[in-house]
Parts: sequence; C-alpha cells; structure tokens
Amino acid sequence: MPGCAVKFACLFVVFFAVPARADEPVADTSPGGELDPTEGHWAWQPLCRVPPPKAENGARIHNPIDQFVVAALEAQGRMQPRPATAPVFVRRVFLDLIGLPPTLDELRQWVGRLDGGEGAGGGELKGDAVAELIDTLLNRPQYGERWGRHWLDVARYSDTGGWTHDDRPLPNAWRYRDWVVHSFNTDLPYDEFVRSQIAGDKIDREASIGTGFFALGPTYASDGGNAASIAQVVGETLDDRVDTFSRAFLGLTVSCARCHDHKFDPIPTLDYYSIAGVFNNTGEGETPLVDDNTVQVFHEHQKPINELLEKIRKSRETATKAKRELTEDEKKQIAAWQKEADDLKAKAPPKYDFAHTLHDRSSVDMAVALRGNLMEHGPAAPRRFLKVVAGDDRELFTKGSGREQLATAVVDPSNPLTVRVIVNRVWLHHFGKALVRTPSNFGMLGERPTHPGLLDWLASALIESGWSIKSLHRTIMTSATYQSTSAFDETAFASDGDNRSIWRMNPRRMDAETWRDSLLAVTGELDLTVGGPAVADIVGSNRRTLYAKVSRNNPLASDKFLRLFDFPIPRATNAKRTANVIPQQFLFMMNSQFMLNRAQALADRLQTESGPIAARIEPAYALLYGRRPSEEELRAATDFLASGDSAVDRWQRYFQVLLSSNEFMYIR
Amino acid sequence: VIQLFMPGGPSQVDTFDPKPMIAKHAGERPKAVDLPTLFKTTEGLLPSPFSFKQYGNCGKWVSEIFPHTARCVDDICFIHSMHTDIPEHAGAMMMFNLGHLQPSRPSLGSWLCYGLGTENQELPGLVAMSPRAQPRGKSAHWGNAFLPGAYSGVYANLHSMKPESILRDLKHPHLKRAEQRQQADLLARLNRLDLERQKQDQKLESSIQAAEMAFRMQFAVPDAFDTTRESKATLELYGDSEFAKGCLLARRLVERGVRMVQLSHSLDHYDIAWDTGHEDIAHHRVLAQKCDQGIAGLLRDLKQRGLLDETLVVWGGEFGRAPTSQGTTGRDHDHHGFTVWMAGGGVKGGFSYGTTDQFGLVAEENPVHVHDLHATILHLMGLDHERLTYRYSGRDFSLTDVYGRVLHEVIA
Repeated sequence: MPGCAVKFACLFVVFFAVPARADEPVADTSPGGELDPTEGHWAWQPLCRVPPPKAENGARIHNPIDQFVVAALEAQGRMQPRPATAPVFVRRVFLDLIGLPPTLDELRQWVGRLDGGEGAGGGELKGDAVAELIDTLLNRPQYGERWGRHWLDVARYSDTGGWTHDDRPLPNAWRYRDWVVHSFNTDLPYDEFVRSQIAGDKIDREASIGTGFFALGPTYASDGGNAASIAQVVGETLDDRVDTFSRAFLGLTVSCARCHDHKFDPIPTLDYYSIAGVFNNTGEGETPLVDDNTVQVFHEHQKPINELLEKIRKSRETATKAKRELTEDEKKQIAAWQKEADDLKAKAPPKYDFAHTLHDRSSVDMAVALRGNLMEHGPAAPRRFLKVVAGDDRELFTKGSGREQLATAVVDPSNPLTVRVIVNRVWLHHFGKALVRTPSNFGMLGERPTHPGLLDWLASALIESGWSIKSLHRTIMTSATYQSTSAFDETAFASDGDNRSIWRMNPRRMDAETWRDSLLAVTGELDLTVGGPAVADIVGSNRRTLYAKVSRNNPLASDKFLRLFDFPIPRATNAKRTANVIPQQFLFMMNSQFMLNRAQALADRLQTESGPIAARIEPAYALLYGRRPSEEELRAATDFLASGDSAVDRWQRYFQVLLSSNEFMYIR
Repeated sequence: VIQLFMPGGPSQVDTFDPKPMIAKHAGERPKAVDLPTLFKTTEGLLPSPFSFKQYGNCGKWVSEIFPHTARCVDDICFIHSMHTDIPEHAGAMMMFNLGHLQPSRPSLGSWLCYGLGTENQELPGLVAMSPRAQPRGKSAHWGNAFLPGAYSGVYANLHSMKPESILRDLKHPHLKRAEQRQQADLLARLNRLDLERQKQDQKLESSIQAAEMAFRMQFAVPDAFDTTRESKATLELYGDSEFAKGCLLARRLVERGVRMVQLSHSLDHYDIAWDTGHEDIAHHRVLAQKCDQGIAGLLRDLKQRGLLDETLVVWGGEFGRAPTSQGTTGRDHDHHGFTVWMAGGGVKGGFSYGTTDQFGLVAEENPVHVHDLHATILHLMGLDHERLTYRYSGRDFSLTDVYGRVLHEVIA
C-alpha cells in the first residue's frame, strides 16, 4: 500500500501546518480551500449521473448495472461471467431475499420456469420468470425478517441494556424489531424509514416506535456516583448516539472528533458537539401503544399501590434515621399496608403495551467538551448539521431537541451521503461485497467505490423510485451481473482475487441466522410465526433466529450460539458480518443436541420403505444442495452406512454429516 | 501471562506497602491524605491491624496475611505507585483489564491473542477463571469487543471444574471415539469433493482443518483439566482452596500454550471480593488466606519447571484502599495510589518500583498509570503497544489508546 503511505504523509503536512494550541480543541479550523486535500473527496460530491457506458456487442445487458460492470471488466480485458445454472440461482435468490432455501417443490417449479432450455450449460435465465420469482419472494413476510435483520445489525439492536451489569431491561425492544421488519415488508420509503428513527415521535405513534433505534442504545451508568465518572458515562452514552447516527445513516465517523478535530475528514470537534447537543436534549421513555383510557385506568390502579409502598418506605426510613429497630406496632402496620398493596396489585390490570421511544426534554446548545471531558467546557457548539455536508451556511436547529431538523437534513436529496450509503448496504447484502468496501466509513480512510458511476446511478434511481428499497432489489437482482455464476476462474483470481471487478458472484458462507433457519427448514421443523417477544433460548426453539433474545454484555443462551457463528456483539453499529471459521463451530455441529435433533428429524422426514440406498440419498441431496449426488458421493455414503448402527442410528449419523457440510452452509 | 486479579481493591498499606507513619499519626487527618475518595470520607488515619516482617534477600516488608507469598519476594517486582482514573469498581476494573472505563473495548488478553496468535490450536488462547462469582462486568474482562471472535476468551468456574464449561458441546452425548472418527472422516471426504468442484476457496480449505481440530479438542481440553496425575507434592504445594485449584490449572494451561489466564479472586459469591474492606479491613485476612498459598505455589512451581522466565504473573486489583478510615474499622477506595506486583516473564525480582506518600494514599515517586502497566506487559510479551492496533469504526484502536509508557526500569 505505498500509495496510502504517500497520502498519509501529505495529510500530516497539512494538519500540522495549521497553527493550533495543543490544549484547546480547534474549532472550525479546517484549512482554506486551496490547502484542503479532503475537499475533492468523492463522497461529499453531489450525485453524478454519468450515462451508462456502452458495452461490447454480445454482452448480456439487462439494465444499466450491466453496462457499468461489463465496461469495467472490458477495460481490464476480462470476460463477462456466464449466468448461474437455474438450481443454483433459485437457491441463491431464496436465501438472499428470505433467508430460507426453497422447498423441493419450489425448487422444481422455479427451475422449470427459469431454465432457458439450454439445460445445465448455464444458458440465459428467462427474464420474466426471474422477475416473477423476485416479486413472489418480496411479497412474503419472511423477506422483511431477512432484510430487517441486516438493518438491526446497523442499529446495534439488543433486547437488554448496555452497561456493565447489563441489567437495564428493555422488555419491549422487540416492538422496534417488528417495526423494522414491517417497514421492509410494506416498503416504507427509505427517507421515511430514516426520519422515523431519528424523530418518529414528531410524526405519529407508529413512527415513534422507530426511535427505538436510539432509545434502545447502550446507556452507560456510574457505579458509585463519583462526579468524574458520571461525566464520563454521560459522554460515553452521547458518543454511542453520535457514532451510531453518523456511521449508520451517513457513513461518517463523526465520533473520531470527540476529543480533537477529525484527523482525516473535515469534521471539527465543534460539529461533534453540534450533533451531540441534539441528543443531549433528548430523553428516552415509553410510548403507550394503547388508547389513553387504558393507560389512565392502569395508572388509576397503580396510584393507591404506590401510595401504600411510599408509606412503607417512609416508615422504615424514619426508624433508620433515628437509628432504631421498627417497633412491633410499626411492623404490624407495614404488614397490613403490604397486604393491602398486594391485594390491589392482584386486581390491577397488567401493564399496557408500550414501545421504548425518544422525546424532547430541552432545547439548549452544548459546550465543546475539552479533550472529550464533559467537565471542561470549551466554546458553545450551536446545534446544526455537519459542515462537510451542509456547508458553512447552515440552518440552526432550534425546534425542541433539534431532531426533526436533523432528520430533514439527513434525508435531504441534496445530501449525497445518505442515499449512497443505503444503496451500498443493499448491494453488499446481495453480493457479499460492497461497492464501497467500508460501508460505514465513506471518509478519507474508507475505500473508494469500485464502480463510482454505478453507485451514483443506483443512488439516483433510488431517489427517483420514491426511495423504494423493493424497487432497488428488483433493479439489482434482474441484472445479468447478479445472475452471474460464482465459478472460479484462475486467471481472473490471480489478478483480482478480491473480485473488485465482479468477474463472478461471490460465494458466501451463511450467517448464523440463515444457517440455523435453513437447517430447520430442510428438516421441515421451522416455525414461521412472525413477530412478538424475543425467545430466551433460541437453540431450543423452532422460531426463526431473528427472534432470539440478544444482549450486549453477558451472553444469554441465544447469544452463545449466535456469537459462535459471528453474530456481532450489538454494542456498536455493525456494517458487515465477518465469517470466521473456528473449530468451536464444528464442536457445535458434531456434539450439540440441536444438531443431533435436526439429523433425527431429517432421517424421519426421508424415511422410506426399504430400497436401494440411493433412493434415500437422492432426495436428501436435492433437498439440501439442489442437485443429484455423484458416484463418489454415493460410494462414500455406502461405505459409511455399511459400518452399521451404534448408539445412534447410522442414517441419523449420516444425515448429521450432510447437514454439517460446507456445501450446505454456502450460498453460491 | 497469568493474571491474578483481585477485584474489589486490596489495601496497599495492609499488604505490601506498609506505612509506619500511619500508626504514629493514628486518628489524625494530615493535609497529605485529605483527598476525596469515593464516599468522601473525613476520618483520620487508621493503623493496619496486621503486623509486617521482612523477607528474602531483598528484605521486603510483607504483611502477616501473605506468609507464603512473602517467601517468594526475591522473584517479585513490586510497583507501589500505581494510580487509575476513577474510584468506582466497574469502571476501574474495566480500566484495569481493557484500558478503558466502559466495556466497549477488547480485553488485554484478547489483544495478546490478536498480537501473538495461537500456540496450541486445540485450546483457546485466553481462559478466564474464578471460584464461583465472575468479576463484576463478567465477560467484558475477557471479551474481544470489536476484535475478531477468535480472540475472545472463555470462562471456567473453579467450583465445578468442568472442561465443558470452557468449550460448549465438547463431548458427544452418545458416540464413542471411533464412531466419531468415522463421522469426521466422512465430513472431510465430502468437503474435499466439494472443494475439488469449487476449485479454489481458502475458507473451504480452512474449514476442513477446523473440523479436524475440533475433533482433537474433544480430548485435549479434558486432558488439561485433569489434575489427578499431578504429584502429591505438587498438589500440596498449591493447597486446596478453589483459588489454588485455579493456580494449578493456570500452570497446566500456560504449559500447553494458552496465551493468557485471568484468574479472579472471589469469595462467598461476591463479584468484588476485596470490597469487604469498607466495613472491616481485618476481613482482608480471610481473603488473603484463600489465595496466598496458591499464589506462592504457582510461583514456585513455575520456577522449578523453568517456566517462570517465560511466564509473566501479574497480581493486583483495580485500585487500592485509603490509609484513613471509613467508619471505625473500614477503608474507602483509593485510586490515587496502590500496589500491583509482577513476577517472572523478564521483570526484575526482589525489586520495588515507585512509592506512595508517607501515609500510602497517593502515588508519589514514579507514578505508574494502568496504561503504563499495559504497555509494559505488552512489551514483555514482545509487542509494541503503539503498533498493536486494529482498524475499526474509521480509526486505529490500541489497548493503551494514546497513552502508555513502557517501564524499562522494571525489566531485568
């Protein structure tokens, strides 16, 4: 990376050239236009709609995506990849859009309709059938469950709080999760989706659930009330809000400017506290999801109970203050009050449904915290949007906390970041690799887009479609590029091993959710109930993995399984899953009760009257891998099954291996 | 690295940093000790209830509550001038183990695994243990935060001593080894066929290896936990407290290439054991008694096996306790000055570094922040704390952030 080093070197010169007192954060001092090397950075330029380049004759061009991609391949002297075979493509589309593999019937049906007649030779897939397949899946509730989960990673969604003890209960966190799923299923325009999450409480009750994006964030607390640590935890909590806000929606690492001006991007410390100030005026609370009357009735019942509990508390306090034990009379009185309270509790209606939401609590600017320490005040930081996006002449946020104005600034079509960031995230989940390989950092230290023209074309198309994410899926998935085979090519690999030019579809290892859901799906056990409270131990349940109860700190039963397969700890926004291969995953496959149960269920499902071994193996291969077994694979099966039964039925042991295989875990 | 973590804050002036001046001015509150502690106590100096004796060639003064450890002082490097940011347990414990006040960063052990890689693939690189209660903050102390999951620690409870506790699903509920071997072979055979069809894929190749590794782990982990074949002399050297079991297990694990063992003290299911010092500092005697022999046994055992040179042992809590009293017999938290000691791993033995003031409240000579301690530990492990970085969220993170100074003075 010699180029990188050079770039760093000149940045250093520029930043050190700025006269700055070391003991004071430098506010708004990014050097003037003639010196600033960050000014021309691609990410903050307006969307640029270049006409899609013309591709060579004979290339398969379904839409402008293919023109951009083929032109780039041609420039490097590469061939456009062949299309995937119909069975591979059907499995890919199912797993991609709904996170579940096709059933045997679905596979047969769609392969029949897609196959252009050239058989397994990798001929063109029938375009109208592809479009119909995509629409069919987009209309299933499982679509929102799959794509909602991608967003929940970004939202660092958790069912519990975030501090050391991890004991702040978030009993209704799932309402935000369900709101996200529902938003994807109903194709809520992305600008509305973003606006609801920043300031939904200003729209309506339904939209206010979206503010769970912030209201469910980790909130840090002090362990003893020491002033310095209270300042520290307040600062840390605000930092979560600023960091998640800026990386999730804008692809900017504003959090780097907490203690000093951003070292690489034009984000002064002042801007950090302009945004932090908005959240500093914001409170977290509950919004009832029932009518006012129900809420009132609940509180009417609680009032006498609380009064009794207060009497008990006061009585005890009086004794403690006087440093004496409770008298017998007092003890009797307390017992009587307690009984009365318990009786009332038993008759009171249960707590009504509510969501964790945001509300405004004040409307003041923050001071810059010197070196990030909230106890040391610097200059006032007026609430307003970031200079790098909105320029010098920015509107001041003065309405309440300022969240409404902030939301408007984020989704303003003149802000090129929001739309590029979401288009890039959607591309990432379709291809496994994004156009900008650092999806939450579009700054100077992030990567440049592999196909800048394509990114901007997609961004413009998204805005023109009314921010319809489903329409974006259709555009991407009907392209010839998305339909490419994932077959290996030695020459292409040698020169572009990272597949930046998209010379093939990236083969992908399933994430924790897709893998577990797929196991339950092929054994016919998956429970497709949509929504509702989180499941404490997902491994013992047949619900989709999305419904696992997850925590930020001390792993719950579900977390232990999920983290084994690279589920991100939801303490900070996550753009992209890792896919680590570690031996502990195979301990799970070999020994866990979950896997033993799946193997048994599969053996039961494929139970046939005695016959040739192949008669039982072929349906298994079709169901799990969408193909027929090879001679060699049949031999391996015969060898293994000849070993006879042991404590566990031989077929069960055999199917456990098939379920544990790489081929099952890969999307190709 | 073997970390003997003493959560709750052991008092320096009652253990390894005696201050005769306290008894001389008992009950007084000289200006030098009139600094705010957590509960803003205002009482005067409280003499230690314990007596001190000199030990070893270095003539180190050690409290009567650590008689066994005292005999190892010639192998120990004391740092008396430690200080940290805040006097609250959770935050200071995070600082001590993560270099940050909140649980959002990778632990020291996780950084070590990231920096050093693994020496024994059949065992995890970082193992945390404690008798019964996990230290407050739990898995954050051995967590990987944003580092890859492979560098996360695992936890073993020393009360149950089950190998399965550090690795889930370690044992098949029904099958024998030979039957599992057949299954593993079939999986490898099918995965190889798949790999041939796909031609080239690094992930597929490494997953075939990982599966084989998992097969072997099933037997390697219980072997590490099996202390029955240790000699009687060895078992007696350590003693029989649960903490001592942890010390012995720690030796067995580092012997097998585990990079870091974090052994936390706890008693009576209390997650910050040494915090009983608020009410009565004399309770330190019970706590010390439960860990002293195990600690000394570990140091001697490592030494006689020639492992002490390459194993760094670190003892200490997240902060210390004030020389003044809280109530009549207790002591409040003291983050201004406290003692940590190290042994082996290339540090000077029989050596003391830095001092607190004459009453033992504040680090005075050569103050050492926790970041400096971290920098030094990484240095002793051959890692440069400024260069051991991980790119996350748009910037390079490191254990010591922008701080940290390697204490070359304590290195032999």
